[in-house]
Amino acid sequence: MIGVGYLLITALVWAIIISLAWGLSKYFRKVYENEKTFLDWFLDPLENLIYRILGIDRNRDMGWKEYFLSLFVFNIFTAAISFVILSYQGMLPLNPMKFPGINWSLAFNTVTSFSSNTNLQHYGGGSTLSYLSQMVAIQFLQFTSAASGAVVAVAIFRGFAGRRDESRNLGNFYVDMVRTMTRILLPLTLILAVLLIGLGVPQSLGGYSLVKTLSGSFEIIKVGPISSLVSIMQLGTNGGGYFGANSAYPFANPSPLTNYIELGGMMLLPTAMLFLFGRMLRMKNEGRTLLIASYGLYAIDLAIALVPVTTLGAGMETRLGGFSTVLYTVTTTAFTTGSVNTDLAAMHPLVIMAALMGMIIQATPGGIGVGAMYMLMYVIITVFIVGLMAGRTPEYLGAKITANDVKLAVIAFLVHPIIILAPTALAYALGAVHAIGLGTGPVGFTQIFYEYTSAAANNGSDFLGTTGNTVFFNVSTGIVMWAGRFIPIFIMLAIAGRMLDKKRSTEVALRTDNLIFPAIVIVSILILAVLTFFPFLAIGPILMHLEGIKNAL
Amino acid sequence: MHSNQKLNMGNISGSENLEESISWLYVSKDSLLRMSPLRLITNPVMFVVELSFLVVLLMTIVPGAFPNLAHQSDRAFYAYVTVILFVTVWFSTISESIAEARSKATAASLKKLEKEGIAKRIQENGSEGRIIENVKSSDLRRGDVILIEKGDQVPTDAEVLEGIAMLDESLLTGESAGVRKSKGDTVIGGSTVVSDSIVAVVNVNPDETYISKLVKMVESSERPKTPNEVALSILLLGLTGVFTIILFALIALSLLLNLGADLSVLIALYVCLLPTTIGALLPAIGISGITRMSKNSIIVKSGKAIETAGDTNTILLDKTGTITVGNRLAHEFINLGSHSEKELAEAAFLSSWNDDTPEGRSIVELAFSKGFVPREYDALREGVHEEFSAVTRRSGITLVDSDDFTLPKGGREFYQRHRFRKKFELQTPLTEDTTIHKGAPDTIKELADICPDNFDDVVTKITSEGGTPIAVSMNGDIVGIIYFKDVIKQGIKERILGLKKMGIRPVMITGDHPLTAGSIAREVGIDEFVAQAKPETKHQKVKDEQGANRIVAMIGDGTNDAPALAAADIGLAMASGTFAAKDAANMVDLESNPSKIIDVVMLGKQLLMTRGAVTTFSITNDVAKYFAIVPVMFVSIPALSALNILGLTPQIAVLSALIFNAIVIPALIPIALRGTRFKPQSTLRIFLKNLLLYGVGGVLLPFAAIKLIAVFLVFIGGII
Repeated sequence: MIGVGYLLITALVWAIIISLAWGLSKYFRKVYENEKTFLDWFLDPLENLIYRILGIDRNRDMGWKEYFLSLFVFNIFTAAISFVILSYQGMLPLNPMKFPGINWSLAFNTVTSFSSNTNLQHYGGGSTLSYLSQMVAIQFLQFTSAASGAVVAVAIFRGFAGRRDESRNLGNFYVDMVRTMTRILLPLTLILAVLLIGLGVPQSLGGYSLVKTLSGSFEIIKVGPISSLVSIMQLGTNGGGYFGANSAYPFANPSPLTNYIELGGMMLLPTAMLFLFGRMLRMKNEGRTLLIASYGLYAIDLAIALVPVTTLGAGMETRLGGFSTVLYTVTTTAFTTGSVNTDLAAMHPLVIMAALMGMIIQATPGGIGVGAMYMLMYVIITVFIVGLMAGRTPEYLGAKITANDVKLAVIAFLVHPIIILAPTALAYALGAVHAIGLGTGPVGFTQIFYEYTSAAANNGSDFLGTTGNTVFFNVSTGIVMWAGRFIPIFIMLAIAGRMLDKKRSTEVALRTDNLIFPAIVIVSILILAVLTFFPFLAIGPILMHLEGIKNAL
Repeated sequence: MHSNQKLNMGNISGSENLEESISWLYVSKDSLLRMSPLRLITNPVMFVVELSFLVVLLMTIVPGAFPNLAHQSDRAFYAYVTVILFVTVWFSTISESIAEARSKATAASLKKLEKEGIAKRIQENGSEGRIIENVKSSDLRRGDVILIEKGDQVPTDAEVLEGIAMLDESLLTGESAGVRKSKGDTVIGGSTVVSDSIVAVVNVNPDETYISKLVKMVESSERPKTPNEVALSILLLGLTGVFTIILFALIALSLLLNLGADLSVLIALYVCLLPTTIGALLPAIGISGITRMSKNSIIVKSGKAIETAGDTNTILLDKTGTITVGNRLAHEFINLGSHSEKELAEAAFLSSWNDDTPEGRSIVELAFSKGFVPREYDALREGVHEEFSAVTRRSGITLVDSDDFTLPKGGREFYQRHRFRKKFELQTPLTEDTTIHKGAPDTIKELADICPDNFDDVVTKITSEGGTPIAVSMNGDIVGIIYFKDVIKQGIKERILGLKKMGIRPVMITGDHPLTAGSIAREVGIDEFVAQAKPETKHQKVKDEQGANRIVAMIGDGTNDAPALAAADIGLAMASGTFAAKDAANMVDLESNPSKIIDVVMLGKQLLMTRGAVTTFSITNDVAKYFAIVPVMFVSIPALSALNILGLTPQIAVLSALIFNAIVIPALIPIALRGTRFKPQSTLRIFLKNLLLYGVGGVLLPFAAIKLIAVFLVFIGGII
């Protein structure tokens, strides 16, 4: 059972991260509202240079369609570059290990995965990718996809804030993107990377070395630009590791301290985005509402996962201990990061179930930017359902929720079950599951169900790993990852575009800035999102638990 | 602003003069007809339930057609499921039919108001001048000119061309007050002329009268969905989509993973999860909204208007008729010149004894309460009365000298009731016939020979205080002025408090002096008022409020009100008002009771609340249904029975959940038709109460109910 000490550790991590995120959100607001910040002397000329080289008109304000189109084209473009690099890495420089180019389906899977902020990996990073691929194809996408998530949220927040003056629209995608990179992701990654290097995570381009171990055998020591990748993978809620074993690999996560720092790293930005919502709206309590709802669900997730932590199963990370492993696993799914510090197959079925819940909800608090976006989707649906009971047309932030808003929110809500359940059934029907040696029992089903849930939620943690490197899984998860990424973004930007011009009334019947409303949102999410998947959880992890199967190993 | 002068107060609550009787034969027939898939397709939730019914029916007949999903041995069970699914759909169409039947019953009782009568049509006939011919009222067409004399019933809606008359509209409005109509005013079919006669031009064809319109409105089944209904339908469609995906995924996985689930059980889970409760009751809730408005004698031009009423932020209330009763009551006797108060009071008493208006009665009551009762009761019997006439705007009495003192008929009871036994002395004994007149100050001043110096000052003072002066003269000598004051409507204070609690801001509009307006506003608890309002003030106020993104509701009757009524989100016109006003408004009150705007707002709120409550209940019910069915769903996985917290055997669990799902529909029909109950409170408290009742209750109730049904089923099974 959970000891008081563990609760204290969790509370401490939460307190530190929430305070840091609160402070950071102040800075973020200034960044996105073009106010003075302390880095201006250095970054203003740099950014102006970038705008001039790329021919960006920084004063151009975009509507939701243009914003989405810019984002989408940009992501196709970056994915295409990465696809070329991965496919031809054998002919490209910075490849001291002489790895050959990877095949098209794996390359497709990898670029869709990293560009959608999923980081599902059907390859073993340390034994497949060159330094160039790791740094340019992988890390580059980790930056752009994280920044994409952040700017989408910012554009949506601007829409929800309403048009403050005639000229204002959702903002300029390119300007938001550049500023996110230069003023948020790069500085924070730099700080975290240096910190991790100080704590023993390697950062090198010197190639792998072969050493003779104490027992007399030889071992390849795989080093590389690990610290920077680990930093952005956590900060950007990406999750794709340098190594297949991700943060379970000692070089990526050498000590309990780095473990907690990495844990905090992935919580930081999604939490800051929730505060940013309140700040950009000039209604801090509305940000608090999102925060309470998200963290409330996160706490429920943790409670489910921590109940069974009594003994360490086979394959569970022993270096870091059972508690921190479970905390990490739940957090990585709750924030849809997907980095792992253990072998999922070693986890107790209820931990898997908690992980699945986080990915089903996607807003606990979810990935950078998109977590807040999903929470807003749930808020709109909840406000509409219960708001009528206050005797007025439901309003959120003073704007009436009308038929078209409900239509859009419901479509966004429908995407998730479709892109998880359809390919899961298809994988069985086409024999793809049997082809990789998995059966029809609860263990096999859980792994396949988890694979698509993780892909759809843009999480990236998975059971399959390199066994998923088949054409069927590469292509199907690739499609699911992009559908799960861009369809909801498209819809939520459309809602933001509608919100922009809605009349706002100051006399609202159902207040959303109190402490009751987030509780209602939590219950509504549990009923609408989690219970929807209840039959599937029942034949997967719940059944494993009931049949006394300790883990998937 | 007022094109007519109302002489009586309106009643606040709508009179229930429309009875209802539902034809159950109609309901049973209509509900079965509504089950036709072609008609049901407009309600996607119930449509897919019907499809599910057909599939399970097929399973019952040919289980072999569903390999691995149906079993020959379970045919009895399939039959039960089939029946329950059929009943579920039927319950939903029954609720719609009942709502429809109620509205038909309302329409039928309204139709009774339209009686066939005889009308006097005027034909212009060149040389012979006018001929008057008797025709049936149903033969009147737009443009016909008719004569309506004292005692006649107005045959149809018409506009007055000549003459001034008092009309009794009680048949329509339930009020016995007389209403003055003059050139340009509208008279409504069904009302009766009580004094004078008028010539009017018919301005509607037989099927265009207000009553016909009302009847048509409540009868029409082609009811466009309101914005919130549309949004709710989309949500229900979305939920149906989610559960349909789940159903198909479960069917596929059951086959692929050999989970052994029975198709009927999967369908049962599907139907239970669908928002059938709200899906079934949504149409009935909408119909009942309009029916309830009609019962309050309000014609609504669209269902959307009722819904918007619920969103009202600001409500503009006319002082007269809404906050105060339409007429003012005697408050004080102000004697003038050499005359004493007693003289004035007695003169006023005598002139008002036969005056049956509230003003007249209030004069007599005031005189009694002050102890001024004249002794010329006998004279009253023989006196010559000059009835109030709309032309002269005064009434009067001429008395014949008499020494005897006897109370007139009816006077004794009144006298005794007041326990007043003083001996009366007449100040100036009547030695000759006395004529007393009372009326508007200018009329009386014109009539009188002697006018006190301070007459105009007193009149001005009363007027500036918001009161109404009525002058009294005796034999051409003005004896004084009766001060009429506003009387606050009974219960209006509480209603205004209720509005404020619910976050609706009442604003009082009046032509009165700010001081008077302020004192009345304070008295009823209104914080904001617009005094000395001109006709265009209302329109400006509506625009200002809307500029601040507020939803505005208002009432109006005059042509001057038309622009404001058209601009307001909710415009409630009085039936007694002009056509322009009624045309511009989106609702018309047949009873012409301005306070009803508050009822309209409350009804709008109730309608929204009912939809929200049933939706929430429908969705929260799912929790228990998941726990009843999922644990027993997969025959090949006995381990899941650990989740079976209700401890039910598979078939009993499925049947109980389905039966619960079905009977919730008729159980909630009363709520759908009459709306959820609520007291005027802060919206947060109302919301929390509803949330507790329909949200938390919606989670807990089904657990108990399903278990109970299961126990009952097992019991019945034991007997059979």
